[in-house]
Amino acid sequence: MEATRVQPSFGERLMLNLRSRPAAWIMIAMTLGFLVIIGIFAGPSQLVNTIVTGGMWALMAVGLALVFGVMNIPHFAHGDSFMIGAYVAYFVFTPIQASLRDNPNPVLSAVGPLIAWAAAALVGFVVGAIMEKLVFYPLRQRTRKGWVMNTFLLTVGISFVLVYGTNLILGPNFRGVPNYWNMPPIVIGSVRLTMERIAAFVVAIVAIVAFWIFLSSTRTGRAIRAVAQDEMGAEMVGINLNFIYTLTFALATAMAALAGASLLFMFPAYPTVGLKPLYFAWYVVMLVGLGNVQGAIVGGFIVAVLQTLTQQFFGVSYEDVVPVVVMILVLLLVPNGIFGSEVKGIQEQ
Amino acid sequence: MAALLEVEHINAGYGFLQVLWDVSLKVEEGEFVCLLGANGAGKTTTLRTIAGFLKPTAGDIRFEGKSIAKTPAYQISQMGISFVSESLNLFTNMSVRENLLLGAYRVLDKKKQLEALDFVFSLFPRLKERERQLAGTMSGGERKMLAIARGMMSMPKLLLVDEPSLGLAPQVVVAVFEALQTLRKEGVTILLVEQNVPSTLRITDRGYVMEYGKIVLEGPSKELMNNEHVRVAYMGI
Repeated sequence: MEATRVQPSFGERLMLNLRSRPAAWIMIAMTLGFLVIIGIFAGPSQLVNTIVTGGMWALMAVGLALVFGVMNIPHFAHGDSFMIGAYVAYFVFTPIQASLRDNPNPVLSAVGPLIAWAAAALVGFVVGAIMEKLVFYPLRQRTRKGWVMNTFLLTVGISFVLVYGTNLILGPNFRGVPNYWNMPPIVIGSVRLTMERIAAFVVAIVAIVAFWIFLSSTRTGRAIRAVAQDEMGAEMVGINLNFIYTLTFALATAMAALAGASLLFMFPAYPTVGLKPLYFAWYVVMLVGLGNVQGAIVGGFIVAVLQTLTQQFFGVSYEDVVPVVVMILVLLLVPNGIFGSEVKGIQEQ
Repeated sequence: MAALLEVEHINAGYGFLQVLWDVSLKVEEGEFVCLLGANGAGKTTTLRTIAGFLKPTAGDIRFEGKSIAKTPAYQISQMGISFVSESLNLFTNMSVRENLLLGAYRVLDKKKQLEALDFVFSLFPRLKERERQLAGTMSGGERKMLAIARGMMSMPKLLLVDEPSLGLAPQVVVAVFEALQTLRKEGVTILLVEQNVPSTLRITDRGYVMEYGKIVLEGPSKELMNNEHVRVAYMGI
Protein backbone atom coordinates (compact mmCIF):
# COMPACT_ATOMS: atom_id res chain seq x y z
CA MET A 1 0.00 0.00 0.00
CA GLU A 2 1.18 3.46 -0.82
CA ALA A 3 2.31 5.25 2.29
CA THR A 4 -0.08 8.11 2.88
CA ARG A 5 0.62 10.90 5.30
CA VAL A 6 -1.93 10.69 8.07
CA GLN A 7 -2.28 14.41 8.35
CA PRO A 8 -0.70 17.75 7.57
CA SER A 9 2.47 18.69 9.40
CA PHE A 10 2.77 21.57 11.84
CA GLY A 11 4.02 23.89 9.10
CA GLU A 12 1.16 23.00 6.76
CA ARG A 13 -1.39 23.46 9.49
CA LEU A 14 0.07 26.81 10.43
CA MET A 15 0.01 27.92 6.79
CA LEU A 16 -3.60 26.75 6.44
CA ASN A 17 -4.45 28.65 9.57
CA LEU A 18 -2.65 31.77 8.43
CA ARG A 19 -3.95 31.91 4.88
CA SER A 20 -7.02 33.90 5.79
CA ARG A 21 -5.58 35.86 8.69
CA PRO A 22 -3.79 39.08 7.73
CA ALA A 23 -3.56 40.14 11.38
CA ALA A 24 -1.41 37.11 12.16
CA TRP A 25 0.87 37.85 9.21
CA ILE A 26 1.29 41.45 10.28
CA MET A 27 2.09 40.45 13.86
CA ILE A 28 4.58 37.79 12.82
CA ALA A 29 6.29 40.13 10.37
CA MET A 30 6.45 42.85 13.03
CA THR A 31 7.84 40.37 15.54
CA LEU A 32 10.59 39.29 13.19
CA GLY A 33 11.34 42.92 12.38
CA PHE A 34 11.50 43.86 16.03
CA LEU A 35 13.75 40.87 16.70
CA VAL A 36 16.21 42.36 14.23
CA ILE A 37 15.84 45.80 15.86
CA ILE A 38 16.46 44.25 19.26
CA GLY A 39 19.47 42.45 17.89
CA ILE A 40 20.95 45.67 16.48
CA PHE A 41 20.09 48.21 19.18
CA ALA A 42 19.93 46.20 22.37
CA GLY A 43 22.68 43.76 21.57
CA PRO A 44 22.65 40.06 20.75
CA SER A 45 22.45 38.98 24.36
CA GLN A 46 19.06 40.71 24.65
CA LEU A 47 18.05 38.86 21.51
CA VAL A 48 18.95 35.57 23.15
CA ASN A 49 17.05 36.60 26.27
CA THR A 50 13.98 37.36 24.21
CA ILE A 51 14.06 34.00 22.51
CA VAL A 52 14.49 32.19 25.84
CA THR A 53 11.55 34.02 27.44
CA GLY A 54 9.54 33.50 24.27
CA GLY A 55 9.99 29.76 24.55
CA MET A 56 8.90 29.87 28.17
CA TRP A 57 5.79 31.98 27.55
CA ALA A 58 4.95 29.60 24.73
CA LEU A 59 5.31 26.62 27.06
CA MET A 60 3.02 28.27 29.62
CA ALA A 61 0.52 29.45 27.02
CA VAL A 62 0.21 26.05 25.33
CA GLY A 63 -1.06 24.56 28.59
CA LEU A 64 -3.48 27.42 29.05
CA ALA A 65 -4.76 27.13 25.48
CA LEU A 66 -5.16 23.40 25.84
CA VAL A 67 -7.10 23.58 29.10
CA PHE A 68 -9.38 26.20 27.63
CA GLY A 69 -9.82 24.42 24.31
CA VAL A 70 -10.52 20.96 25.70
CA MET A 71 -12.21 21.70 29.02
CA ASN A 72 -13.44 25.31 28.64
CA ILE A 73 -11.72 26.28 31.85
CA PRO A 74 -10.21 29.79 32.02
CA HIS A 75 -7.32 28.60 34.12
CA PHE A 76 -6.21 31.32 36.54
CA ALA A 77 -4.23 28.95 38.74
CA HIS A 78 -1.82 28.16 35.92
CA GLY A 79 0.79 30.43 37.49
CA ASP A 80 0.70 28.36 40.64
CA SER A 81 1.69 25.30 38.66
CA PHE A 82 4.73 27.37 37.66
CA MET A 83 5.31 28.13 41.34
CA ILE A 84 5.00 24.46 42.30
CA GLY A 85 7.53 23.54 39.63
CA ALA A 86 9.96 26.17 40.93
CA TYR A 87 9.70 24.91 44.52
CA VAL A 88 10.04 21.26 43.55
CA ALA A 89 13.12 22.03 41.47
CA TYR A 90 14.59 24.00 44.37
CA PHE A 91 13.99 21.29 46.96
CA VAL A 92 15.25 18.53 44.70
CA PHE A 93 18.27 20.42 43.42
CA THR A 94 19.65 21.91 46.67
CA PRO A 95 20.42 18.52 48.28
CA ILE A 96 22.03 17.39 45.03
CA GLN A 97 24.12 20.55 45.03
CA ALA A 98 25.07 20.06 48.68
CA SER A 99 26.17 16.49 48.15
CA LEU A 100 28.19 17.61 45.13
CA ARG A 101 30.07 20.09 47.29
CA ASP A 102 31.30 17.29 49.55
CA ASN A 103 32.11 14.74 46.89
CA PRO A 104 32.24 16.10 43.35
CA ASN A 105 30.84 13.89 40.67
CA PRO A 106 30.92 15.13 37.06
CA VAL A 107 27.99 12.99 35.91
CA LEU A 108 25.71 14.06 38.73
CA SER A 109 26.64 17.72 38.32
CA ALA A 110 25.73 17.49 34.66
CA VAL A 111 22.40 15.68 35.03
CA GLY A 112 21.45 17.00 38.49
CA PRO A 113 19.41 19.91 37.13
CA LEU A 114 17.69 17.60 34.67
CA ILE A 115 16.65 15.33 37.55
CA ALA A 116 15.21 18.35 39.34
CA TRP A 117 13.29 19.41 36.24
CA ALA A 118 11.94 15.94 35.60
CA ALA A 119 10.82 15.77 39.23
CA ALA A 120 9.08 19.14 38.85
CA ALA A 121 7.24 18.00 35.71
CA LEU A 122 6.24 14.75 37.38
CA VAL A 123 4.96 16.47 40.52
CA GLY A 124 3.14 18.96 38.30
CA PHE A 125 1.48 16.10 36.44
CA VAL A 126 0.31 14.46 39.67
CA VAL A 127 -0.85 17.74 41.23
CA GLY A 128 -2.75 18.58 38.03
CA ALA A 129 -4.47 15.20 38.01
CA ILE A 130 -5.43 15.52 41.68
CA MET A 131 -6.68 19.08 41.16
CA GLU A 132 -8.88 17.98 38.27
CA LYS A 133 -10.31 14.99 40.12
CA LEU A 134 -10.84 16.93 43.34
CA VAL A 135 -12.33 20.15 41.97
CA PHE A 136 -13.51 20.06 38.36
CA TYR A 137 -14.70 16.46 38.18
CA PRO A 138 -17.28 16.88 40.99
CA LEU A 139 -18.48 20.16 39.47
CA ARG A 140 -18.89 18.51 36.09
CA GLN A 141 -20.94 15.70 37.62
CA ARG A 142 -23.19 18.24 39.32
CA THR A 143 -23.89 20.72 36.52
CA ARG A 144 -22.51 22.18 33.32
CA LYS A 145 -24.55 25.36 33.73
CA GLY A 146 -22.45 28.52 33.91
CA TRP A 147 -19.41 26.30 33.52
CA VAL A 148 -16.95 28.94 32.34
CA MET A 149 -17.81 31.42 35.08
CA ASN A 150 -17.85 28.75 37.78
CA THR A 151 -14.53 27.26 36.79
CA PHE A 152 -13.01 30.73 36.50
CA LEU A 153 -13.98 31.41 40.12
CA LEU A 154 -12.76 27.97 41.16
CA THR A 155 -9.34 28.45 39.59
CA VAL A 156 -8.98 31.83 41.27
CA GLY A 157 -9.89 30.13 44.55
CA ILE A 158 -7.38 27.34 43.96
CA SER A 159 -4.77 29.99 43.26
CA PHE A 160 -5.46 31.73 46.59
CA VAL A 161 -5.31 28.44 48.48
CA LEU A 162 -2.02 27.45 46.86
CA VAL A 163 -0.37 30.88 47.27
CA TYR A 164 -1.32 31.39 50.91
CA GLY A 165 -0.87 27.72 51.76
CA THR A 166 2.68 27.95 50.46
CA ASN A 167 3.18 31.20 52.32
CA LEU A 168 1.97 29.55 55.53
CA ILE A 169 4.18 26.49 55.23
CA LEU A 170 7.32 27.78 53.52
CA GLY A 171 7.14 31.48 54.30
CA PRO A 172 7.55 34.36 51.88
CA ASN A 173 11.32 33.92 51.46
CA PHE A 174 12.94 33.76 48.07
CA ARG A 175 14.50 30.38 47.35
CA GLY A 176 16.58 30.49 44.26
CA VAL A 177 19.37 28.69 42.50
CA PRO A 178 21.63 31.28 40.87
CA ASN A 179 23.12 28.75 38.54
CA TYR A 180 22.35 25.14 37.82
CA TRP A 181 25.71 24.36 36.30
CA ASN A 182 29.04 25.63 37.55
CA MET A 183 30.22 26.36 34.08
CA PRO A 184 31.61 29.52 32.55
CA PRO A 185 29.29 31.02 29.96
CA ILE A 186 29.87 30.24 26.33
CA VAL A 187 31.07 33.33 24.51
CA ILE A 188 30.31 33.77 20.82
CA GLY A 189 31.49 37.17 19.65
CA SER A 190 29.88 39.65 22.00
CA VAL A 191 27.21 37.21 23.20
CA ARG A 192 27.56 35.52 26.54
CA LEU A 193 25.38 32.45 26.75
CA THR A 194 25.02 30.80 30.12
CA MET A 195 24.33 27.11 30.19
CA GLU A 196 21.07 27.79 32.07
CA ARG A 197 19.66 29.92 29.27
CA ILE A 198 20.57 27.44 26.58
CA ALA A 199 19.09 24.58 28.60
CA ALA A 200 15.90 26.51 29.38
CA PHE A 201 15.39 27.25 25.71
CA VAL A 202 16.14 23.69 24.64
CA VAL A 203 13.75 22.33 27.27
CA ALA A 204 10.96 24.63 26.09
CA ILE A 205 11.44 23.69 22.45
CA VAL A 206 11.77 19.96 23.13
CA ALA A 207 8.68 19.98 25.37
CA ILE A 208 6.62 21.89 22.81
CA VAL A 209 7.73 19.73 19.89
CA ALA A 210 7.19 16.50 21.83
CA PHE A 211 3.79 17.72 22.88
CA TRP A 212 2.90 18.65 19.32
CA ILE A 213 3.87 15.21 18.04
CA PHE A 214 1.86 13.66 20.85
CA LEU A 215 -1.23 15.70 19.92
CA SER A 216 -1.03 15.19 16.19
CA SER A 217 -0.01 11.60 15.73
CA THR A 218 -0.75 9.43 18.72
CA ARG A 219 -4.04 7.75 19.51
CA THR A 220 -4.46 9.53 22.83
CA GLY A 221 -3.41 12.89 21.39
CA ARG A 222 -5.96 12.50 18.64
CA ALA A 223 -8.55 11.69 21.30
CA ILE A 224 -7.70 14.94 23.13
CA ARG A 225 -8.28 16.92 19.94
CA ALA A 226 -11.48 14.99 19.32
CA VAL A 227 -12.81 15.97 22.75
CA ALA A 228 -11.91 19.59 22.02
CA GLN A 229 -13.96 19.48 18.84
CA ASP A 230 -17.01 17.41 19.71
CA GLU A 231 -17.58 15.84 23.10
CA MET A 232 -20.57 13.77 22.12
CA GLY A 233 -18.78 12.52 19.01
CA ALA A 234 -15.83 11.57 21.18
CA GLU A 235 -18.05 9.59 23.50
CA MET A 236 -19.71 7.93 20.52
CA VAL A 237 -16.41 6.46 19.37
CA GLY A 238 -15.67 5.19 22.87
CA ILE A 239 -13.43 7.89 24.33
CA ASN A 240 -13.65 8.19 28.10
CA LEU A 241 -14.13 11.94 28.56
CA ASN A 242 -13.16 11.95 32.22
CA PHE A 243 -9.84 10.30 31.44
CA ILE A 244 -9.10 12.83 28.69
CA TYR A 245 -10.00 15.77 30.95
CA THR A 246 -7.75 14.56 33.73
CA LEU A 247 -4.91 13.84 31.33
CA THR A 248 -5.23 17.25 29.66
CA PHE A 249 -5.20 19.11 32.94
CA ALA A 250 -2.28 17.07 34.24
CA LEU A 251 -0.25 17.68 31.07
CA ALA A 252 -0.89 21.42 31.17
CA THR A 253 0.14 21.56 34.81
CA ALA A 254 3.26 19.50 34.09
CA MET A 255 4.31 21.90 31.33
CA ALA A 256 3.86 24.93 33.58
CA ALA A 257 5.81 23.20 36.35
CA LEU A 258 8.58 22.42 33.90
CA ALA A 259 8.70 26.09 32.92
CA GLY A 260 8.91 27.09 36.58
CA ALA A 261 11.69 24.61 37.22
CA SER A 262 13.84 25.53 34.26
CA LEU A 263 13.49 29.27 34.95
CA LEU A 264 14.42 28.95 38.64
CA PHE A 265 17.69 30.79 37.94
CA MET A 266 15.69 33.80 36.67
CA PHE A 267 12.65 33.60 38.97
CA PRO A 268 13.52 32.34 42.47
CA ALA A 269 10.71 30.39 44.12
CA TYR A 270 8.33 32.38 46.34
CA PRO A 271 4.57 32.09 46.84
CA THR A 272 3.46 34.59 44.18
CA VAL A 273 6.18 33.90 41.64
CA GLY A 274 3.57 32.48 39.28
CA LEU A 275 1.67 35.72 38.80
CA LYS A 276 3.89 37.20 36.12
CA PRO A 277 4.08 34.03 34.01
CA LEU A 278 0.30 33.67 34.46
CA TYR A 279 -0.37 37.16 33.16
CA PHE A 280 2.00 36.78 30.27
CA ALA A 281 0.53 33.43 29.31
CA TRP A 282 -2.90 35.05 29.34
CA TYR A 283 -1.69 37.91 27.16
CA VAL A 284 -0.49 35.28 24.73
CA VAL A 285 -3.71 33.27 24.55
CA MET A 286 -5.90 36.36 24.31
CA LEU A 287 -3.71 37.80 21.60
CA VAL A 288 -3.71 34.67 19.44
CA GLY A 289 -7.25 33.50 20.19
CA LEU A 290 -8.53 31.43 23.09
CA GLY A 291 -7.95 27.70 22.87
CA ASN A 292 -5.67 27.90 19.83
CA VAL A 293 -2.67 25.69 20.63
CA GLN A 294 -0.53 26.35 17.54
CA GLY A 295 -1.22 30.06 17.85
CA ALA A 296 -0.04 29.96 21.46
CA ILE A 297 3.36 28.63 20.37
CA VAL A 298 3.93 31.54 17.98
CA GLY A 299 2.27 34.00 20.36
CA GLY A 300 4.75 33.24 23.14
CA PHE A 301 7.52 34.74 21.02
CA ILE A 302 5.40 37.72 19.96
CA VAL A 303 4.74 38.66 23.57
CA ALA A 304 8.39 38.12 24.54
CA VAL A 305 9.46 40.53 21.81
CA LEU A 306 6.96 43.13 23.00
CA GLN A 307 8.27 42.68 26.50
CA THR A 308 11.93 43.13 25.57
CA LEU A 309 11.14 46.14 23.40
CA THR A 310 9.33 47.78 26.28
CA GLN A 311 12.16 47.06 28.68
CA GLN A 312 14.67 48.54 26.26
CA PHE A 313 12.85 51.66 25.17
CA PHE A 314 10.38 52.51 27.97
CA GLY A 315 11.80 50.86 31.07
CA VAL A 316 10.95 47.74 33.01
CA SER A 317 7.98 49.31 34.81
CA TYR A 318 6.07 49.50 31.52
CA GLU A 319 6.58 45.79 30.87
CA ASP A 320 2.91 44.97 31.40
CA VAL A 321 1.54 48.07 29.73
CA VAL A 322 2.66 47.53 26.18
CA PRO A 323 1.54 43.91 25.76
CA VAL A 324 -1.85 44.81 27.24
CA VAL A 325 -2.23 47.83 24.96
CA VAL A 326 -1.39 45.65 21.98
CA MET A 327 -3.83 43.05 23.24
CA ILE A 328 -6.62 45.63 23.52
CA LEU A 329 -5.92 46.91 20.02
CA VAL A 330 -5.91 43.39 18.61
CA LEU A 331 -9.16 42.51 20.37
CA LEU A 332 -10.77 45.71 19.06
CA LEU A 333 -9.73 44.98 15.50
CA VAL A 334 -9.83 41.14 15.47
CA PRO A 335 -12.06 40.03 18.35
CA ASN A 336 -11.25 36.33 17.88
CA GLY A 337 -7.52 36.90 18.27
CA ILE A 338 -4.99 36.99 15.47
CA PHE A 339 -5.06 33.24 14.85
CA GLY A 340 -8.76 32.82 15.57
CA SER A 341 -10.14 31.05 18.57
CA GLU A 342 -10.99 27.37 18.52
CA VAL A 343 -13.55 27.00 21.25
CA LYS A 344 -16.57 24.77 21.12
CA GLY A 345 -18.35 25.36 24.37
CA ILE A 346 -18.88 29.01 25.19
CA GLN A 347 -21.75 29.48 22.77
CA GLU A 348 -23.52 26.40 24.04
CA GLN A 349 -23.90 27.60 27.59
CA MET B 1 -31.31 -17.69 22.75
CA ALA B 2 -31.73 -14.10 23.85
CA ALA B 3 -31.76 -11.40 21.20
CA LEU B 4 -28.70 -9.20 20.61
CA LEU B 5 -30.47 -6.13 21.95
CA GLU B 6 -33.46 -6.21 24.25
CA VAL B 7 -35.15 -3.04 25.38
CA GLU B 8 -37.69 -3.81 28.07
CA HIS B 9 -40.37 -1.43 29.25
CA ILE B 10 -38.20 1.65 29.46
CA ASN B 11 -39.30 5.13 30.45
CA ALA B 12 -36.95 7.96 29.62
CA GLY B 13 -36.90 11.69 28.98
CA TYR B 14 -35.20 14.99 29.56
CA GLY B 15 -35.49 16.30 33.12
CA PHE B 16 -39.15 16.52 34.08
CA LEU B 17 -40.29 15.86 30.53
CA GLN B 18 -40.92 12.18 30.04
CA VAL B 19 -40.72 11.21 26.38
CA LEU B 20 -40.69 7.42 26.31
CA TRP B 21 -43.49 5.46 27.94
CA ASP B 22 -42.98 1.76 28.41
CA VAL B 23 -41.03 1.18 25.21
CA SER B 24 -39.96 -2.38 24.42
CA LEU B 25 -38.16 -3.62 21.37
CA LYS B 26 -35.80 -6.34 20.29
CA VAL B 27 -33.11 -6.72 17.66
CA GLU B 28 -31.87 -10.19 16.71
CA GLU B 29 -28.38 -10.76 15.43
CA GLY B 30 -28.07 -10.09 11.70
CA GLU B 31 -31.43 -8.33 11.54
CA PHE B 32 -32.16 -5.00 9.89
CA VAL B 33 -34.81 -3.35 12.05
CA CYS B 34 -36.39 0.06 11.63
CA LEU B 35 -38.11 2.39 14.05
CA LEU B 36 -40.64 4.61 12.35
CA GLY B 37 -42.78 7.49 13.44
CA ALA B 38 -43.57 11.16 13.06
CA ASN B 39 -41.56 14.06 14.42
CA GLY B 40 -41.44 14.06 18.20
CA ALA B 41 -42.62 10.48 18.55
CA GLY B 42 -39.55 9.56 20.59
CA LYS B 43 -37.49 7.67 18.02
CA THR B 44 -34.31 9.65 18.56
CA THR B 45 -34.79 9.53 22.32
CA THR B 46 -35.02 5.75 22.11
CA LEU B 47 -31.71 5.54 20.22
CA ARG B 48 -30.01 7.99 22.58
CA THR B 49 -31.16 5.91 25.52
CA ILE B 50 -29.83 2.70 24.00
CA ALA B 51 -26.50 4.42 23.20
CA GLY B 52 -26.25 5.57 26.82
CA PHE B 53 -26.57 9.32 26.34
CA LEU B 54 -29.82 9.25 28.30
CA LYS B 55 -30.52 7.00 31.24
CA PRO B 56 -33.86 5.20 31.46
CA THR B 57 -35.86 6.02 34.60
CA ALA B 58 -37.51 2.61 34.52
CA GLY B 59 -37.09 -0.68 32.69
CA ASP B 60 -33.96 -2.35 31.43
CA ILE B 61 -31.79 -2.50 28.31
CA ARG B 62 -29.80 -5.65 27.67
CA PHE B 63 -27.06 -6.14 25.11
CA GLU B 64 -25.86 -9.71 24.62
CA GLY B 65 -27.70 -10.54 27.82
CA LYS B 66 -25.90 -7.91 29.92
CA SER B 67 -27.74 -4.90 31.31
CA ILE B 68 -26.43 -1.63 29.88
CA ALA B 69 -29.08 0.66 31.33
CA LYS B 70 -26.60 2.28 33.71
CA THR B 71 -23.44 1.96 31.63
CA PRO B 72 -21.76 5.20 30.48
CA ALA B 73 -21.98 5.95 26.76
CA TYR B 74 -18.30 5.43 26.03
CA GLN B 75 -18.37 1.95 27.56
CA ILE B 76 -21.46 1.02 25.57
CA SER B 77 -19.55 2.09 22.49
CA GLN B 78 -16.62 -0.07 23.59
CA MET B 79 -18.97 -3.05 24.04
CA GLY B 80 -19.76 -2.92 20.33
CA ILE B 81 -22.69 -0.57 19.76
CA SER B 82 -21.97 2.22 17.30
CA PHE B 83 -24.29 5.20 17.29
CA VAL B 84 -24.58 7.44 14.23
CA SER B 85 -26.46 10.47 15.50
CA GLU B 86 -28.74 12.80 13.60
CA SER B 87 -26.28 15.70 13.93
CA LEU B 88 -23.42 13.31 13.03
CA ASN B 89 -21.00 14.75 15.64
CA LEU B 90 -18.07 14.59 13.27
CA PHE B 91 -14.71 16.10 14.16
CA THR B 92 -14.99 18.91 11.65
CA ASN B 93 -11.44 20.22 11.96
CA MET B 94 -9.88 16.85 11.27
CA SER B 95 -9.31 15.06 8.02
CA VAL B 96 -11.57 12.25 6.82
CA ARG B 97 -8.83 9.77 7.62
CA GLU B 98 -8.40 11.06 11.16
CA ASN B 99 -12.14 10.89 11.73
CA LEU B 100 -12.14 7.29 10.58
CA LEU B 101 -9.13 6.39 12.71
CA LEU B 102 -10.91 7.87 15.71
CA GLY B 103 -13.87 5.68 14.80
CA ALA B 104 -11.50 2.79 15.43
CA TYR B 105 -10.36 4.32 18.75
CA ARG B 106 -11.35 1.20 20.67
CA VAL B 107 -9.54 -1.07 18.19
CA LEU B 108 -5.97 -1.28 19.46
CA ASP B 109 -4.62 -3.55 16.74
CA LYS B 110 -3.04 -1.36 14.00
CA LYS B 111 -3.54 -4.07 11.39
CA LYS B 112 -7.24 -4.38 12.16
CA GLN B 113 -7.55 -0.59 11.92
CA LEU B 114 -6.13 -0.60 8.41
CA GLU B 115 -8.38 -3.51 7.44
CA ALA B 116 -11.38 -1.58 8.67
CA LEU B 117 -10.18 1.46 6.76
CA ASP B 118 -9.99 -0.59 3.55
CA PHE B 119 -13.44 -2.00 4.25
CA VAL B 120 -15.14 1.38 4.66
CA PHE B 121 -13.26 2.78 1.68
CA SER B 122 -14.58 -0.11 -0.41
CA LEU B 123 -18.09 0.71 0.83
CA PHE B 124 -17.71 4.44 0.22
CA PRO B 125 -15.11 5.01 -2.52
CA ARG B 126 -15.98 8.69 -2.31
CA LEU B 127 -14.36 8.92 1.11
CA LYS B 128 -11.14 7.42 -0.25
CA GLU B 129 -10.95 10.32 -2.73
CA ARG B 130 -11.44 12.82 0.09
CA GLU B 131 -9.12 11.12 2.55
CA ARG B 132 -7.15 14.25 3.43
CA GLN B 133 -9.97 16.75 3.24
CA LEU B 134 -11.28 18.30 6.46
CA ALA B 135 -14.58 16.73 7.48
CA GLY B 136 -16.20 20.14 7.97
CA THR B 137 -15.65 21.11 4.35
CA MET B 138 -17.55 18.20 2.80
CA SER B 139 -21.09 18.13 1.44
CA GLY B 140 -24.03 16.91 3.51
CA GLY B 141 -24.22 13.51 1.84
CA GLU B 142 -20.49 12.93 2.16
CA ARG B 143 -20.62 13.85 5.84
CA LYS B 144 -23.43 11.39 6.40
CA MET B 145 -21.39 8.68 4.70
CA LEU B 146 -18.38 9.64 6.79
CA ALA B 147 -20.46 9.37 9.96
CA ILE B 148 -21.72 5.92 9.00
CA ALA B 149 -18.21 4.88 7.97
CA ARG B 150 -16.82 6.15 11.28
CA GLY B 151 -19.46 4.09 13.06
CA MET B 152 -18.37 1.03 11.07
CA MET B 153 -14.64 1.47 11.77
CA SER B 154 -14.82 -0.45 15.03
CA MET B 155 -16.67 -3.35 13.37
CA PRO B 156 -19.59 -3.01 15.79
CA LYS B 157 -21.99 -5.78 16.65
CA LEU B 158 -24.87 -3.32 16.38
CA LEU B 159 -25.15 -0.11 14.39
CA LEU B 160 -27.70 2.50 15.48
CA VAL B 161 -28.45 4.99 12.70
CA ASP B 162 -30.56 8.07 13.36
CA GLU B 163 -32.38 9.58 10.36
CA PRO B 164 -29.69 9.29 7.71
CA SER B 165 -32.03 10.76 5.06
CA LEU B 166 -32.65 13.99 6.95
CA GLY B 167 -31.78 17.10 4.94
CA LEU B 168 -30.38 15.21 1.97
CA ALA B 169 -31.27 15.48 -1.71
CA PRO B 170 -33.33 12.48 -2.93
CA GLN B 171 -30.46 11.09 -4.99
CA VAL B 172 -28.12 11.19 -2.03
CA VAL B 173 -30.78 9.50 0.12
CA VAL B 174 -30.79 6.63 -2.34
CA ALA B 175 -27.00 6.38 -2.08
CA VAL B 176 -27.11 6.31 1.72
CA PHE B 177 -29.84 3.66 1.74
CA GLU B 178 -27.87 1.56 -0.72
CA ALA B 179 -24.86 1.79 1.58
CA LEU B 180 -26.98 0.59 4.50
CA GLN B 181 -28.24 -2.30 2.38
CA THR B 182 -24.67 -3.26 1.54
CA LEU B 183 -23.79 -3.22 5.23
CA ARG B 184 -26.74 -5.45 5.91
CA LYS B 185 -25.52 -7.92 3.29
CA GLU B 186 -22.14 -7.91 5.05
CA GLY B 187 -23.97 -9.22 8.10
CA VAL B 188 -24.08 -6.05 10.18
CA THR B 189 -27.01 -5.76 12.58
CA ILE B 190 -28.69 -2.40 12.15
CA LEU B 191 -31.37 -0.47 14.02
CA LEU B 192 -32.48 2.38 11.78
CA VAL B 193 -34.62 5.34 12.77
CA GLU B 194 -36.40 6.98 9.86
CA GLN B 195 -39.26 9.20 8.81
CA ASN B 196 -39.05 8.19 5.20
CA VAL B 197 -41.44 5.27 5.67
CA PRO B 198 -41.88 3.68 2.22
CA SER B 199 -38.17 3.45 1.34
CA THR B 200 -37.27 2.27 4.81
CA LEU B 201 -39.84 -0.52 4.82
CA ARG B 202 -38.57 -1.65 1.44
CA ILE B 203 -35.05 -2.38 2.71
CA THR B 204 -35.65 -3.54 6.31
CA ASP B 205 -36.70 -6.91 7.74
CA ARG B 206 -38.83 -5.80 10.60
CA GLY B 207 -40.21 -2.55 11.91
CA TYR B 208 -41.64 -0.77 14.92
CA VAL B 209 -43.95 2.24 14.71
CA MET B 210 -43.84 4.83 17.47
CA GLU B 211 -46.45 7.41 18.33
CA TYR B 212 -46.41 9.79 21.29
CA GLY B 213 -43.55 7.97 22.97
CA LYS B 214 -45.11 4.53 22.73
CA ILE B 215 -44.68 1.62 20.37
CA VAL B 216 -48.04 1.21 18.64
CA LEU B 217 -47.28 -1.34 15.97
CA GLU B 218 -44.66 -3.93 15.19
CA GLY B 219 -44.12 -6.61 12.63
CA PRO B 220 -42.25 -7.69 9.52
CA SER B 221 -41.71 -4.80 7.13
CA LYS B 222 -43.85 -6.41 4.40
CA GLU B 223 -46.83 -6.65 6.73
CA LEU B 224 -46.36 -3.10 7.94
CA MET B 225 -46.30 -1.91 4.36
CA ASN B 226 -49.78 -3.37 3.87
CA ASN B 227 -51.07 -2.25 7.24
CA GLU B 228 -54.03 0.08 6.94
CA HIS B 229 -52.87 2.43 9.71
CA VAL B 230 -49.34 2.75 8.33
CA ARG B 231 -50.60 3.34 4.81
CA VAL B 232 -53.01 6.06 5.91
CA ALA B 233 -50.83 7.81 8.47
CA TYR B 234 -47.33 7.60 6.93
CA MET B 235 -47.62 6.83 3.24
CA GLY B 236 -50.58 9.00 2.38
CA ILE B 237 -52.40 6.27 0.52
